[in-house]
Amino acid sequence: MKKIISLSLLTFSFSVQAQIMVNSAIFGMMEARQLGPGSMSGRISAIEGVNNDGGKTLYVGTAGGGVWKSTNAGASYKTLFDKYCQSIGAIAINQKQPSVIYVGTGESNMRNSVSIGNGMYKTTDAGDNWKKIGLDSTEHISKIIVHPDNSEVIYVAAPGPLWSSSKHRGLYKSNNGGETWEKIFYLDDLTGCADVLMDPSNPNILFIAMWQFKREPFNFNSGGKGSGLYKSYDGGKTWKEIKSGLPEKPFGRIAMAIAPSDSKQMLAIVETKNTELFISSDGGETWKAQSANMNVKARPFYFSTIVIDPKNPKRVYRPAFNFAYSDDGGYSFSDASYGGGWVHSDMHALWINPANTNIMYIGTDGGIYVSLDRGVTWQFNHGLPVGQFYHVSYDLKEPYNVYGGLQDNGSWMAPSAAPGGIGNANWNMVGGGDGFWTVPDTDGKTVYSESQGGNMLRTNLTTLKSEDIQPQKTAKEEKLRWNWNTPIVTGAKNPQNLYVGAQYLYKSTDQGRNWKRISSDLTSNDKKKQKQEESGGLSEDNTSAENHCTIFTIAESSLDENLIWVGTDDGNLQYSLDGGTTWVNVSPAVAKCGIANQAWVSSIQPSQFDKNTVYATFDNHMFGDHKTYLGKSTDLGKTWKKINSAEFTGFAHKIKEDPENKNLLFLGTEMGLFASLDGGDNWFRMKNNIPEYALVRDLQIHPKTHDLIIATHGRGIFILDDIRAMRSLTKEIWEQEVYLFQTPDITLNNGKFGWGGPQVSGGWHEGNPNYVPTINYYLKQRLATGKITIDIYDSKENLIQSMPGTIRKGINKVSWNLRGIPPKVAAGSTKMDGAGFTAPMVLPGTYTLKIKVKDKEYSGTVKCVHDAENKDLNEEDRKLVYEKAMGLQNLYKMVNNTIDSISFYQSSLKADTIAYAKNKNAQAFYSDLQKVKAEFMATKKTSMFADEEKLREKISKLYGSFCGMESKPNATHLEAIEDLQKEYALQKEAFKKVIAKSAPKNPKIVKEKELK
Amino acid sequence: MSNLKKTFTILILCLVSVNTFSQNLEEIVKKHIEAIGGKENWAKIKSLKTETSMKANGAEIKMTMYQIDKKAMRQNIALMGMEGYSILTTKEGWSYMPFQGQTKPEAMTADEVKKAQDGLNIQDKFMTYKEQNKKLEYFGKDDFDGTECFKLKMTDKDSSETTFYIDPANYYVIKEIQKMKMDGKEVENTTTFGNYKKTAEGIVYPYSIIGGWGEMEIISLTINPTIDEALFKPTVPAKK
Repeated sequence: MKKIISLSLLTFSFSVQAQIMVNSAIFGMMEARQLGPGSMSGRISAIEGVNNDGGKTLYVGTAGGGVWKSTNAGASYKTLFDKYCQSIGAIAINQKQPSVIYVGTGESNMRNSVSIGNGMYKTTDAGDNWKKIGLDSTEHISKIIVHPDNSEVIYVAAPGPLWSSSKHRGLYKSNNGGETWEKIFYLDDLTGCADVLMDPSNPNILFIAMWQFKREPFNFNSGGKGSGLYKSYDGGKTWKEIKSGLPEKPFGRIAMAIAPSDSKQMLAIVETKNTELFISSDGGETWKAQSANMNVKARPFYFSTIVIDPKNPKRVYRPAFNFAYSDDGGYSFSDASYGGGWVHSDMHALWINPANTNIMYIGTDGGIYVSLDRGVTWQFNHGLPVGQFYHVSYDLKEPYNVYGGLQDNGSWMAPSAAPGGIGNANWNMVGGGDGFWTVPDTDGKTVYSESQGGNMLRTNLTTLKSEDIQPQKTAKEEKLRWNWNTPIVTGAKNPQNLYVGAQYLYKSTDQGRNWKRISSDLTSNDKKKQKQEESGGLSEDNTSAENHCTIFTIAESSLDENLIWVGTDDGNLQYSLDGGTTWVNVSPAVAKCGIANQAWVSSIQPSQFDKNTVYATFDNHMFGDHKTYLGKSTDLGKTWKKINSAEFTGFAHKIKEDPENKNLLFLGTEMGLFASLDGGDNWFRMKNNIPEYALVRDLQIHPKTHDLIIATHGRGIFILDDIRAMRSLTKEIWEQEVYLFQTPDITLNNGKFGWGGPQVSGGWHEGNPNYVPTINYYLKQRLATGKITIDIYDSKENLIQSMPGTIRKGINKVSWNLRGIPPKVAAGSTKMDGAGFTAPMVLPGTYTLKIKVKDKEYSGTVKCVHDAENKDLNEEDRKLVYEKAMGLQNLYKMVNNTIDSISFYQSSLKADTIAYAKNKNAQAFYSDLQKVKAEFMATKKTSMFADEEKLREKISKLYGSFCGMESKPNATHLEAIEDLQKEYALQKEAFKKVIAKSAPKNPKIVKEKELK
Repeated sequence: MSNLKKTFTILILCLVSVNTFSQNLEEIVKKHIEAIGGKENWAKIKSLKTETSMKANGAEIKMTMYQIDKKAMRQNIALMGMEGYSILTTKEGWSYMPFQGQTKPEAMTADEVKKAQDGLNIQDKFMTYKEQNKKLEYFGKDDFDGTECFKLKMTDKDSSETTFYIDPANYYVIKEIQKMKMDGKEVENTTTFGNYKKTAEGIVYPYSIIGGWGEMEIISLTINPTIDEALFKPTVPAKK
């Protein structure tokens, strides 16, 4: 027995070691770029500002992009929450000690696509460090209040889970700054607390809005007997329900506000069958209905914000579908004029600077706006890249473009690289509505996009003119059921094939001009789940978001265009081997491996190596089950294996198999991106500059650039450039102390882009990928002592370049600028000289890399090849440019040597200052030398705005031109070289004359340095 | 059965030892100070001369730093045939950067001088934080470039903060984030450290310092050199 247990302990310790070793640190410097956009941002769920710091510090909570902070009033933001849950419901600042901030995760704008939180977080150092402080199972938190006099007392309103009944809802209170919690108001497992207010004049008086609600995949119900308005006079110990003046129940969601400057004045929007605005002038004891416009009453489950100005109880704001304001305490409302330009509709958060109530920030479904005039005009904050993508695709252009659809914000495209990097101005809208699938055609001119409920367009990318291409029902067919997020997909084997799915699968081979239905109803067609017109509860709300029994995912095999897989939102997974003539439903086999049989089939990955192998992800969160479901079959779906990992968090959205290494897999879930290097046996969370709990909705791997493209629902698009090193990682490599990867061939050019100018559109900006493949090496551990040097030799073993290497654990990436070592610059000028920073680009050939790590050396080669695509420079011309550039470098070196000689004489003359002051010959010599020097280089310029150009500057300028030259030099270039050589000869002669003239009179000094 | 019990006891002890292994703040600081040569050796340092080199694709920028502990520092920069410098004393600061078009030394603002004073302290910050009334907090372990580090934060009286990442394998600081408020806006500077070497005087010093500017490699480190205090006065270098 002892032996067995000892052995098991040993095994345990080994497996722990193995897991520790293989994690995202192994990828080292392979870090993702975040492309944005910041121009079309995402849903904002909370905004809080520090009251007394001039309005500079803001904290912003987002629907799927974590918490952001600005310390310049919104001019720029930094992310604070990259290691935690990204769905934010509420933020509260302890205004007496504003470095203490509470964040409640789990947004409470309870639409179908809302994400899920995992409790409360607290920082005591203004967001640098966070601690999880409980309420883990509440899933959604709508409001946090810090007691103004006793900051240890915290109230948290938790609507609780959206998709299931739960006891983890209600009003919570902590008396010790969040260390422990007590649920102080709870009704039942379907009714949560949607809001809590504190009387600003008496913190013992509290109001809560209780809300009964539940979603199912095919239905939403807002309202029930649980909903109601309650008041406490004793800090939440006892409560009474407020009824006077309110209508008969049932209620739905209640939005409420209390005037900070007069706590008797209150407003409430109460959702009923006939939602109304109510006003109280006695501190919420009695209420009176007041007529209100559409915006005030709009979609109460989604627009739950009403705010009264901090100083003026008559000024009321209702951010909802639009922005409305009242100047008479809510008796009448006007819609804002938006004089400053377009403002995104659908508003959820409003912060008014209490020190200057003209200044306010609004959070919409498309980002944050600031107003300086009480909401009349608004300016957009361009630096918040929290767009909520559903899918991403790419084209094959160079640079390629990414395409994707954003929640409530249409379909967009942007280049993966651009002159100066990717800025907001590089993003272009190509479709409207709620954007989902956005897929380019291989013709390079066309994009297909889909918006909510199966509306689909074919759009000309040049003119942006669109055609509706949605297949229509025929007389013999049932009403077509289109998912909110209807798939429109091109074939992986034959990209001319275009597929869309309602309950039937359709195929077009002419860009959607004609469709052929290629299946019967592939769903369960359960009529009980098709009553969307009744959805919403007290307020009807049927926006196609609850459409059900529909096709949700389509995948054509990359090995055979007749092998098509289809997954539905009601659990069916089917395939056809004959291009859609016959179908096999394998969902019963899936269920046998432990995957819930009603779960949405969220993605399918037919293997790119074996037709019988297929991966699929399943999403069961709409039944209250957040587990990560990933299945694999190797027998065309007959049997399935559920792939598990302790690392997984969040329900699964996307499985992606690398097209070149079948053991490299990526999995995107609602809470993270995961990778496996061994075909799915072991997984780890990808960090690599990707938020650790990012909502990863889609993944693509570009076939040309080998980039991993990541669509997140809250942080926009990420690109992890060139994953070839990742692909080649094996156990044999990662167990070595140092491993040098083979550097791909390098095409000799200055990159594909020029400077690009300043980012005039401002806001979010991301750089380009390295234009030269990097020199990659792996370090098992970070190097604590010693250094790394990378030397590059040509075929004759001449040292061309020497660079310091990075010391990071995992894969290190070092860029070589494809040039040799620049010339040294002689001192003494009044002008900085750029030649000291550049050298000619090397010629095509094979170069040897020697990487010294401490005392060990590792060597490899890199092949540099001529850029055949550049028609302005053939190989002969390249040689000519190189020779001329090296000639100029030599001339430059000679000039610098002469300057050094002059400086040597001058300093020798002045070495003995007393003797120099008495020696007129020495002074004359010095002066003659200075005159010569002044012809060799700039010595007089005293301002950066007054240029001076002498021989060195002329050579430097021409040298710089030749170093950057990517076309055949023109005749004037070549003549200029000759002129400079002549000028050098003349100036050198002048120098010699000075020496000849003064040498006899200063023999000691001249003798010390031999003139060359 | 007794063997089984014993094995479980060992297992429990192992787990307990894992828990107690979590370091407290004092232990981490103590081990860090020991790792870099000990307080006694550091206390002997009154002045430093540091010669450094920054290389970018073969081009080199040379710098020489002169420091008198808690009194003054000067950094000379040689770049593209020109020379500039920056000076900081307890009362004033100057910069002369002809590469940026300056034609004469320009004074630092009082706020900049005040915020930069920490730089005059040659001693390791963990040796002096108590006497300087700085607050030090431990935030557990955090990842830096794949290394799970001890994360400590030091807060100054003026709320300037420095977060340190200490490698548990050797107790060296491998990353530092300095955060301060300039005109109300937070400004952050991140520096990483590597190539720790022990000097003849017994201190362990990072010979590689990487910031937003690139990597600075220390070529030579002279401890307690004689430094002419005239260096800490701003002058325009004479034209050669």
